[in-house]
Amino acid sequence: MAVHKGRGIAAIEYPTGMNQNGDPSQAWIKVKPDGRVDVFAGTSDIGNGSKTIQSQIVAETIGVPYDWITYDNSNTDSSPVCTGTFASRATFVAGKAVEKAALKVREKILEIAGKELEIDPSDLEIADGEVTAKGAPQKKISVADVAAAATWGHGELITGTGAQLKPYATIVDPETGLVDLPPHSAISYASCAAEVEVDDETGVVRVTRLWQCFDVGRALNPTLVEGQIEGGAVQGLGLGVLENCYPYYPSVEHRGAQFGSYLAPSTEDLPQIDTIIVENPSVDGPYGAKGIGEMANNPQPPAIAAAVYDAVGVWVTELPITPERVLRALEAKAEPRREGKLVVFDDELSVNTVSSGGMRFEVPA
Amino acid sequence: MKAVGARLPRYDGVAHATGRTVFVDDVRIPGALWVKALRSPVHRADITGLDVSKAEAMKGVRAVITWQDVPLLEYGHLSALGIPADEPLLAKDEVRYKGQPIALVAADDEDTAMAAVEAIEIDFDEKPALLDVRQAFDPDAPVIHQWGNWYPHFEAEMDRRQIRKGDIDRAFEQADVIVQGVYRPAAIEHVPVETQSCQVVPEANGRLTIYSCTQALYFSLGVVAAHLQVPLNKLKLVGGTVGGGFGGKVDTATETMCCLLAQKSGRPVRWRWTREEEFLCSSTRAPWHMEIADAVTNDGWILGRRMLTLHDSGAYARFSPYGLTKHSFHHTGAYTIPNLHFDGYVVFTNRVPTTAMRGFGVTSISFATETHMSRIADVLGLDPWEIRLKNANRIADTSPNGVSYTDPSTVSVVKALAEGIGVELSAALRAMTRDPREGDLLPEHLVAQVGSLEEVH
Repeated sequence: MAVHKGRGIAAIEYPTGMNQNGDPSQAWIKVKPDGRVDVFAGTSDIGNGSKTIQSQIVAETIGVPYDWITYDNSNTDSSPVCTGTFASRATFVAGKAVEKAALKVREKILEIAGKELEIDPSDLEIADGEVTAKGAPQKKISVADVAAAATWGHGELITGTGAQLKPYATIVDPETGLVDLPPHSAISYASCAAEVEVDDETGVVRVTRLWQCFDVGRALNPTLVEGQIEGGAVQGLGLGVLENCYPYYPSVEHRGAQFGSYLAPSTEDLPQIDTIIVENPSVDGPYGAKGIGEMANNPQPPAIAAAVYDAVGVWVTELPITPERVLRALEAKAEPRREGKLVVFDDELSVNTVSSGGMRFEVPA
Repeated sequence: MKAVGARLPRYDGVAHATGRTVFVDDVRIPGALWVKALRSPVHRADITGLDVSKAEAMKGVRAVITWQDVPLLEYGHLSALGIPADEPLLAKDEVRYKGQPIALVAADDEDTAMAAVEAIEIDFDEKPALLDVRQAFDPDAPVIHQWGNWYPHFEAEMDRRQIRKGDIDRAFEQADVIVQGVYRPAAIEHVPVETQSCQVVPEANGRLTIYSCTQALYFSLGVVAAHLQVPLNKLKLVGGTVGGGFGGKVDTATETMCCLLAQKSGRPVRWRWTREEEFLCSSTRAPWHMEIADAVTNDGWILGRRMLTLHDSGAYARFSPYGLTKHSFHHTGAYTIPNLHFDGYVVFTNRVPTTAMRGFGVTSISFATETHMSRIADVLGLDPWEIRLKNANRIADTSPNGVSYTDPSTVSVVKALAEGIGVELSAALRAMTRDPREGDLLPEHLVAQVGSLEEVH
């Protein structure tokens, strides 16, 4: 009877944006008479930080401080269309819409600044809320003064709209699954290593350490990226060793109806988490970003399963890897069936064993 | 100061951390009625009698609704994509899962609403349930859905999602070893801190103001408008700040029903699911059944993959056809496998309908393909790092559905992970990049799949 340590790895990919696309996001921006910026977008913030990221994109694109931005996604009367916060699309797709709207606002600010400074707008740039002449920074006007001039002098509203929509990728051949266009906005990649301790007497798997490496394209806000990755890791740990709506699936009995009987991860389950951010910028995401919100909980379960095998020599391929499943696997010590060049694991779980003939998984030997 | 790339404070961080963020249930509307649901107590039954008259007559009860009150009873999560609807907003002739809503009550207070739910008279004729996706196709399985036990409306009215690529038979003939396994990740709950919640105010001008915890304001706007058969200007969704979603709040679980009660009673209504309802009646992540057989060579090339996926959709389709399609598009994981034979089915069972959840359609694939990858390495006695780097997606490799990869990063993230945990890779592995394949990394079996570089650049 002992505690065994093991380590396993996994590498994964995940698409950004709705599968097959066709998911619009729109934004509109207006500027107050003192240059402060109001952003209206329909992107729900589900804790993923989309209010923050989209505000950063607007601040960066126009060239004003982050705290000049007011972000309003509060209702469908004032906010334009956003398909929603899912499919890892809030930064990439909705963020692209606010970037496009902000570019138009920037253009309008430069146009009015050009009139005020009597300089061609193409010779001007904006940073930190100041419009300056390229190569002659003493010639300048603040964005606040530009906005005031627009309002009180030129009788204009500084505003801009943006929309992002990748066309729907049609499956042109349902027999093969071929599509006519890329069915994603970008693809992100990640890897993970899990270190576990498995008690061969109790069957308990404790995840002691997770290393997580994500290619995020570009980390628009590294703190929020780390938050997504670490939060995802904990959810992946839940998938791996704790959570199950149907403990004896496919039976629907013994469902947990409260926190005491449904094991969601809590602080006592937390392993040490190390996060490695890789930046291979995407071609057309805002500032090179890719979405990683969802995939953050995908690489841990297979890394944990491999680590359990490394520790105690059994594969548990039904999730979660509960003490009961570990103990049963240790007791069975099942070896794969070998037949010619076939190496067959998990015969007892196969549709070929359970179905009375309606469905088969055919593999030529 | 640059905004992009900076560790700027979260826009709403202080409000969240100090408890001042206003979520749906924090909105106080004077005179709002409490809503409670009558839900199916059984997994599958015909409804043989439904009488709400005693509930309606109770003091303090302001409205009771059933399927008869819904202008468009069935509107699918994917109706906007032309996929037919299968799920009634409120059960009509039958119930297909325990917890399915049948009738709703709006009353002056919570106790009255609960008492009125108890007073609804209902009769069932219970039927055998189907729970195991592996038995759904069997001749003796009960048929539980109007479309049969699996979804029949993929393109060209196919009853499964297929991927076919390359020459699968040749790959299996050429294989040194065929490794086969079964992978079954579980259904899990989204466990949002904020349970499903909604409040609706019928305005004097006839509009409905809907305080919603939806993850998708405009998607939900469209769903409510379709059920109510009203133009979009009759509705105002107020939301955008969600107390945890993880996919479960893409379902528009409460909004339409609250609108109907607000219209019928002429009063504001509020519905907050109990934690028990959230655990037992809200949609879950799907359980998946996946079988993989990979044709591999002794030196660790994956020549081909046969795969069967049974996606447990629960009682209705919701987003499952979308999820399975996404799943099929990504069923080679972070690797390039040139010969593929994938069949996937959306299978109906008598459990709570499953829906989107973080990683939708692909979390299952990541578990199956990566655990399988580790098994293959073990069976062949190969280094798990090497087999991953060798088969990794490279620029101009093609995806299962024929799209050239433009910026794959399998190699980058595997190498960075090795470095991060102090695993010393061989010089050959360290030299790998994501650039298009050549030399030893472009063996005969991978030549034909390489896509056009013009498509990439």
